[in-house]
Amino acid sequence: MPNLNEQLRRRHLGQSAEVQAAYEAMVGELARGGFIDQVLAVGDHFPDMALPTAEGEMARLAEWWRRGPLVVTFFRGEWCPYCRLVLAALEAALPDIEALGASLIAVTPETGGRALAAKRRRGNRYEILSDVDCGLGLGCGVVFQAPVAYRALLRRFGHDLAERHGNDAWFLPVPATFILDREGVVRWRFAEADPTRRAEPADILAALRGLAAPAGG
Amino acid sequence: MELHQVRYFAALCQTLNFTRAAEACNVTQPALTRAIQRLEHELGGPLLYRERNLTQLTELGRVMRPHLEAMLEAAEAARQAARAQAGSEPASIRVGLGPAIAASHVAGAMRGLVRLYPDLSVHFEEGGTAALVEAMLSDMLDCALLAEDAALPERLNRWKLAEEACTVVLPADHALASRQGLTADDLAGETLLFGERCGGFAHRLQALCGERFGRRQCGGSWVQMLDLVRAGLGLALLPDGLDIAGHLATRPLLEPRLTRTVVLALVAGRRHGAAVANLVKLCRARAPGPAPA
Repeated sequence: MPNLNEQLRRRHLGQSAEVQAAYEAMVGELARGGFIDQVLAVGDHFPDMALPTAEGEMARLAEWWRRGPLVVTFFRGEWCPYCRLVLAALEAALPDIEALGASLIAVTPETGGRALAAKRRRGNRYEILSDVDCGLGLGCGVVFQAPVAYRALLRRFGHDLAERHGNDAWFLPVPATFILDREGVVRWRFAEADPTRRAEPADILAALRGLAAPAGG
Repeated sequence: MELHQVRYFAALCQTLNFTRAAEACNVTQPALTRAIQRLEHELGGPLLYRERNLTQLTELGRVMRPHLEAMLEAAEAARQAARAQAGSEPASIRVGLGPAIAASHVAGAMRGLVRLYPDLSVHFEEGGTAALVEAMLSDMLDCALLAEDAALPERLNRWKLAEEACTVVLPADHALASRQGLTADDLAGETLLFGERCGGFAHRLQALCGERFGRRQCGGSWVQMLDLVRAGLGLALLPDGLDIAGHLATRPLLEPRLTRTVVLALVAGRRHGAAVANLVKLCRARAPGPAPA
């Protein structure tokens, strides 16, 4: 099985020229604006927040990171073909993540039971949180507003984010994955403007191993 | 977007004054100005007109304001949810229930909320739609469960909680109880109970099918209507979201199919307490549908 980013690349090459152009325009705009500089960086404290789980409980992030390293990944939603590949790749990597004493949660702005549906569709064991109105995403600096042309494209494909998010702001997270230590401090980060590029599970595992290794002297 | 940029913008919306907004946010005015400029750059245009004596929102600023404020409120609610603990300020929630709408639509979300606020107290108030809307606007209620209706004012934000279908309620020993489902033809000649606070299905059926049914007026709520059904005074047409028990049978009305949408409604643009904001999040995160048993 090719690695995740190779799968994503192949998936993207299969898209129409129109879709590829829309992605290029959106990514270019974010990159020019220096968007990624705003994202929470290594050394920053992750926001101590609580969000609804897929099962409708309230989960406090700090309760997770106090137990051991926590991997938090933002994804756009089950409608996004790249996110579906990411969720599957993370599920495959979960035993290795857990073997390193770490846990994993995924965060989506989707509402209306879609976090639970995403979890059940492929039998994911890790938790998926519903970041209603993108409050956590804002705290992490990962939220942007989808450009008008891209919104029109998504609508044509039947992806009405206003309906899926329960608001018509059309805010989305950029691909971002954070590894937090027991204090909730970001120890490793992946952030990209391009939705077709994601944190590679092998890199996440390597970073977790680095955290677990005793400090060299 | 960054949290502080959005916070500064929200303060500017309130004060329409850079100096006062900077004071309110506890930053210098140049720092606030720079943050707003970055936000404007990202959103693709000016959010405010800056004139000598007058600061005003631009069209883009007006469009973005509710979205940015909602995101900021979500962040604050998530932060407060993480800090809530037993013994802290007791949280209370006041929820309006529209005609024949069961509290079970929010009970599951409240179970999630009680984990954050173990001392949560809940106050329900049943009433007509107009009265509940008025109570929300005058801040006597935090939110309400209402039937989606064109008459709901624009000032209310609303999210779908459930789609309910009409069910026929009849005595368990009624001849029609032997059927799996019923049609308007089956009900011809039967007496139907009409109430103003019972979901309106009887009125809708009559409007569609004409005067084919006996009609008995029944004031009060759906609970009293059930007592009349038990006593054999007529059949009731009620939403299937209600928990109906006690020597009564319920059969779906298959033809015509009548449905209604139950929404959670809140006054838009108002700052809600953290308990209310988190209840709304829990409701919105869930799949709409019938309330779980």
